[in-house]
Amino acid sequence: MNALTLVWIVLPFILGFLIYLVAIAARPLAILGALASTAYAIILFTQPPLTLRLIDHFGVSLRLDETTGFFVITNALVTLAVLLYNWQSNKTTTFYGQVLILHGSVNAAFVCADFITLYVALEVLSIATCLLIAYPRTDRALWIGLRYLFISNVAMLFYLVGAVLVYKAHGSFDYVGLRQAPPEAAALILLGLLVKGGIFISGLWLPLTHAESESSVSALMSGVVVKAGVLPLVRIALLLPEFDPIIRLFGVCTALFGVVYAVVDKDAKRILAFHTISQLGFILAAPEVGGFYALTHGFVKAALFLAVGLLPTRNLKELQQQAIPTALWVTLAIASFSISGFPLLSGFGAKVLTMKNLLPWQVVGMNIAALGTAISFAKFIFLPHQRLTSPDQSPLRAGFWLAMALLLGGLVAANVVYYEAYTIANVVKPLATIALGWLVYQLALRHVSVKLPRRLEEFEHLIGMMSLSLVVLFWIVMGW
Amino acid sequence: MLEAFALATILCGFFGILLKKNLLMKIISMDVMSTGVVAYYVVVAARNGMFTPIASTSPQGAYADPVPQGVILTAIVIGFSIQALMLVGVMKLSRDNPTLDSRDIEQDTAP
Repeated sequence: MNALTLVWIVLPFILGFLIYLVAIAARPLAILGALASTAYAIILFTQPPLTLRLIDHFGVSLRLDETTGFFVITNALVTLAVLLYNWQSNKTTTFYGQVLILHGSVNAAFVCADFITLYVALEVLSIATCLLIAYPRTDRALWIGLRYLFISNVAMLFYLVGAVLVYKAHGSFDYVGLRQAPPEAAALILLGLLVKGGIFISGLWLPLTHAESESSVSALMSGVVVKAGVLPLVRIALLLPEFDPIIRLFGVCTALFGVVYAVVDKDAKRILAFHTISQLGFILAAPEVGGFYALTHGFVKAALFLAVGLLPTRNLKELQQQAIPTALWVTLAIASFSISGFPLLSGFGAKVLTMKNLLPWQVVGMNIAALGTAISFAKFIFLPHQRLTSPDQSPLRAGFWLAMALLLGGLVAANVVYYEAYTIANVVKPLATIALGWLVYQLALRHVSVKLPRRLEEFEHLIGMMSLSLVVLFWIVMGW
Repeated sequence: MLEAFALATILCGFFGILLKKNLLMKIISMDVMSTGVVAYYVVVAARNGMFTPIASTSPQGAYADPVPQGVILTAIVIGFSIQALMLVGVMKLSRDNPTLDSRDIEQDTAP
């Protein structure tokens, strides 16, 4: 198992570089990389938790357990779906190579359990993401990519200072060293992870980046890349009980913050992006079961971004006037039902599991966030649709259907993870939430339009906000 | 004392990123910030001694901690590759935005 793990971590990078050399085999090699990860993740679920430590280690270690398994399989299947979606496109070799390198760096970020390996994995991931965002080479894509790289690099510089403070106090880079480290170390490291993970105010870079990228890149970013910053937070909460309430608090705030924006926005991709922020809050709100939630959210969000990319326009007001193809509407509706927590899809099990593991003070906030989710996805479910008159008009190709079969099939199959959820009381509550959400949407929100200011999403405000978050984090860690 | 200087460099770099309008200057400020971080690692490494940690028959006394130095070497390499990538991006952007004013670029590319 040890050798297998090491081979699996290196494999996507080797294949990624090989793609540049053997351009003709780009697609099969990329698919091979994603399939290898899928196979490894399935093996991981059958094995006991595994920890690999560097000899004479300074805390450098890899940890493979069930939570990691959920994140890894999300990464593998979302990458596979994105590759299938692009199978018939005219993407060049660069794209496939970058996707595989991104896949490898996200895997590395998921398995590592110390601050320095995590730093390296997160930086490689930022570079690969930036190159993927900038792939169309337009001015706007370049700027969005640069902006992303700039913000994440500044956050990671703060994180590095935090990492050396942990080393100074504990003599290693292990996560548990955070316990002995001074509060400023915890504040700096949390700042880095909150920005990378897109949590609460620090995550305001995320909507523009995810909404303006190409839909397959958005699917990768929302489905897996942000989770590379979230999993370390989950790990810290599980390893160090004194940080658990802080992480949970951020979870509730993020869930509410993201959903408020998602409810009022009228742009399809921005709704999805803000909703990603809110769902990351759900993962953090109950760290013990965050893995399963991340899995269902990864599948749903990737499917939604891929489907929304094929809509004629992103503006929901225009979409309400012109009918979309029924086939596309069905995929949108299935994904929306899952994320609202409708039974039969695994989003239901994940929501029930998360709600069960909440602390009493979190319950009200998270229920409001769940209601907000139902409201924001009513916008997609109630879109007008019609059957196409001739099949060759359809923008949907075989690759799209394969990707959707994989992601939505995964949603149905993942029900087995928590089949105990199907009791009467558990089923009634989400149904009531969804009904109430639809009612609110039909009666009120459909007709009003609110515009929230976008000033805070500007580059300089994002950087400035980091210094404020640092101060606030410092006082939170001090006071707790 | 040295620690304070390293932290001051980090702060200077951060304020540069915040206050400079030109994108190129912002990137250079980021470099200043990362230089501060590197210096801080070196200062931490030298907290118990300054000698190079090389095994020999006559130990020279308190030696510097090699771990932070080794770690920061990785970070330097990553930092400079990111810097190079960003400069290439800025070169491409400068063709249509010769002033490289970050606010102008942001407004021009806004959806």
